[in-house]
Amino acid sequence: MSATVSETIDWSIPTEGTRLDALVEPAVEAGILDEHAKRELRRAILTAVCVPGYQVPFGSREMPVARGWGSGGLQITLAIVGLDDVVKVIDQGDDEGVNAVNLRRLVTDTTGATETTEVSEATVIQTRHRIPEDALEAHQTLVLQVPVPEPLRGVERNIAELGRMHAEADYSRMWVSLYEDKVRNGVITKSTGYPCLVGGRYVIATTPIPRWDVPRLHRAPFLSLFGAGRERKIYAIPPDTDVEPLTFDDVPFEIEKTPGARCSLCDATEAYLIEIPPSDAAADDGRWICSDTAWCRRRRVEASQS
Amino acid sequence: MGYAAARGGLDAISAAEALVRDARDLANSPWLELDQLIDRQRLAVDRVMGEGGLWDPRLAARALQQSEGDTIEASHLLRSYRATMPRFAYSHPVDMDDARVLRRIVPAFRNPPGPQLLGRTTDYTGRLLDRTDDALARERAEKRSIDWAPAEQAVTTSNPTDAGTVASTGPTKAHLGDRRHRRLLDVLRDMDLMVDRRRTDDPEPADITRAATRPPAPRSAVLATMARAETGALVNLWYRNILGPDGYIHEVTLGEVRHAEIPVTVTHPHTGGPVDIGGVRVTEVEAIEDLDGADEDRTRFDAGYGLCFGHNEKKAIAMANLDIACHRDGGGVGGASDLEQSILMTTDGLDASGFLEHLKLPHYVTFRSMIDRKMAMRSARTAEHPVFDTTTATDAPVPVDPREGDCA
Repeated sequence: MSATVSETIDWSIPTEGTRLDALVEPAVEAGILDEHAKRELRRAILTAVCVPGYQVPFGSREMPVARGWGSGGLQITLAIVGLDDVVKVIDQGDDEGVNAVNLRRLVTDTTGATETTEVSEATVIQTRHRIPEDALEAHQTLVLQVPVPEPLRGVERNIAELGRMHAEADYSRMWVSLYEDKVRNGVITKSTGYPCLVGGRYVIATTPIPRWDVPRLHRAPFLSLFGAGRERKIYAIPPDTDVEPLTFDDVPFEIEKTPGARCSLCDATEAYLIEIPPSDAAADDGRWICSDTAWCRRRRVEASQS
Repeated sequence: MGYAAARGGLDAISAAEALVRDARDLANSPWLELDQLIDRQRLAVDRVMGEGGLWDPRLAARALQQSEGDTIEASHLLRSYRATMPRFAYSHPVDMDDARVLRRIVPAFRNPPGPQLLGRTTDYTGRLLDRTDDALARERAEKRSIDWAPAEQAVTTSNPTDAGTVASTGPTKAHLGDRRHRRLLDVLRDMDLMVDRRRTDDPEPADITRAATRPPAPRSAVLATMARAETGALVNLWYRNILGPDGYIHEVTLGEVRHAEIPVTVTHPHTGGPVDIGGVRVTEVEAIEDLDGADEDRTRFDAGYGLCFGHNEKKAIAMANLDIACHRDGGGVGGASDLEQSILMTTDGLDASGFLEHLKLPHYVTFRSMIDRKMAMRSARTAEHPVFDTTTATDAPVPVDPREGDCA
C-alpha cells in the first residue's frame, strides 16, 4: 500500500497504491489508443517478429470498429504508424470498399499519417483478404486483418490442447485431415486461409487470403503482421522467412486459376480475378475482373498511354 | 490519381451516417434527454454500464441515445471510449458486507438472519400491459409526484411469497446505511454444511482488459469475464446447462440475491491514504449447489458467486450458477474445462455480435476461392482415376473436415 514518488514516468501496469500523479503521461494528442496500449502492442509485435508464426496473446483494446471488422489490424496499424507514414487500406483488394474507407479515415484522422491507393507510395498497407498484386519492398509493412488466427481449430476445439499442439509442433492431426480431405474429395478442398508452416516451426492461418496470394509470402522481402483483435492474437512473418503451404510431396499446392479467365477491364490473366456472374441463366454476360482495383486501374492508364 | 475514386465509398458512408443521425435526432418528438434515460430506463442504463465495463450513468445514457437503444452497440461505444484512456490505478477491495443494501432476497430459508428486503422489483407483479390512456397516466403520475421523494424505498417482509399482503412502507433512507446482514453462506458454514475452499494466499485478480484471458484461467478472470458478459449470452449459457446438451449445473438454490451500493476507494495521489471517489450499484448473488458428483463431498454444499454492475439480477444469478458449475467441471483443481472455455470465449457481447455482423462485409475474394474448390472437386471426380465416391460409401468413417470452424 505504500506509495512511492517517481521522478520519471512509470510505464509499468499500475497496481493498487501507485501514485496517480506518477502515472500522468506527457501531453498526448487525442487518439484511439493511449500510449500504454501502443507500447503493449509494440511489445507483442516485437515478440511476434522474434518468433515467426507464433500467436502472441495481447490485451486487445476495444476499437471504434466492431470486432471482426479489422479491430486487430487497426490496432497494429495505429501502433506502428507515425506522421511520416503513408497508409493504404484495402478490403478484398479494393481501396474503395466501405470498410476500407472507414478504417483508412480512422487511421489518418487520428494519427496524422497520409493516405494513398498506390502500393509504391505506401509504407504501411492494411488489408483484408488480399495481398496487393504489386510486389512489396523491404521498407513496406503489410498488416493483415485476421478473423480466425487458429489454423488447427478445425481439428481441435479445446484451447489448452491447441496450446500444447503448437508448443510441441504436433501437427499430425492437421496432416491427417488434409490426407482424408484428399482421399475423400480428390483434391485438398481448403479454399482461403490455407495453413502454412512458417520458418519450419509454427503452422499459421494465412488470414483468409486466397491461395493465389500464399506463395507470395514465401521469403518475401517485406514484414507481414497479422492482427486478430477479437481473439487477442498477433503473429508475424518477418522478411525472408520460409512460408510453406502444408501439402504432400505428390500433391502440388494449387492456386485459384480458371482456364481462359481474363480481366474484362485490363485484360490481365496473371492476377487474382473475381467473377461477375451472368445476369441470368440464359445470359452470356458473365465476366472476370481484377480484385486489386488500384493495380487494374494503373494497367489501364498505362495501356492507354502507350 | 486514385484519390477521387476512393472517395466514392466515403460519400456512401457519409450518406448512411446522415440517415441514421437525422432520423434519430430530427424525429418529430421532443429531444430524448439523458435524464429521462437514467431515471426511466434504469435497467437498460445499468445493463449497458455492466456490459460496457464502465460505471458512468450519463455516458451510458448517451451511448443508448446514440445507439437508438441497441444495448450491445451502446456497450461498444462505452468500451471503445474506455479504451482511449490510460489505466491510472486499481481501486481498493470492497468488503461486500459493508455494502448499503437496497434489496435482499434469501430463497433458501423462510426466516434467514436479517430481513427479506423486496426493494424495487416487479418480481411479484402481474405482467399486465398497462393500457391506460397515456395522457391520463401522465396526469396521475403528476398527482403522485406531490408526495414522492426520490429515495430507494425498501419493502420489508419475512417471506417473499407474502409480499402482496405486507404493508408497503419500509424504513426511511436514514436506516438504510446500517444493514450488515449475516450471509446465508455464514449460516451454512456454522452448520458445517459448506465445503470450505476459501484460499488464504489472496492472489491479485486478473485484469481482463489488459491480458488475453484464455483457459486455463484463474477464477477471478472467469468472474470478471462474466461480469462484463452480454446478459442474454449468460442467460442462454445457463439455460443450455439446464436443458441443453451441456448439463454442468445440477440443482442450485440461491443463498443471497442483493442489490446494493458500494464505495469506490483509491489511494490518494498526494496523501497516499485511501479516499472514496464515488460509489457504484451492484447486484450480488450467492448460489448454493447441491453436490452430487461421485467424487464430491455429498454431505455438504458448495457455492458460486456472481457480481455485476447495476441492477441486473438475471445476469448475476446466471453468473453465480456458472461459477460453481465451472469449478465443478474443472475438477476443482483449476484445470481448464469446456465450460470455462465457453464462458471465456463466447459470452462477450462485442466479440460475438461483432463477428456475427462482420458476415455483412464483402467476402467475394474468399467466395471465389470456394467456388474454385467446388470446380476442382468436380474435375477430380470426372478425371481418369475415379476418386472415392462419398455418395455410395455410407459406412465410411467421416473424416474431420478441415474447413470446420473457419468462417472468415
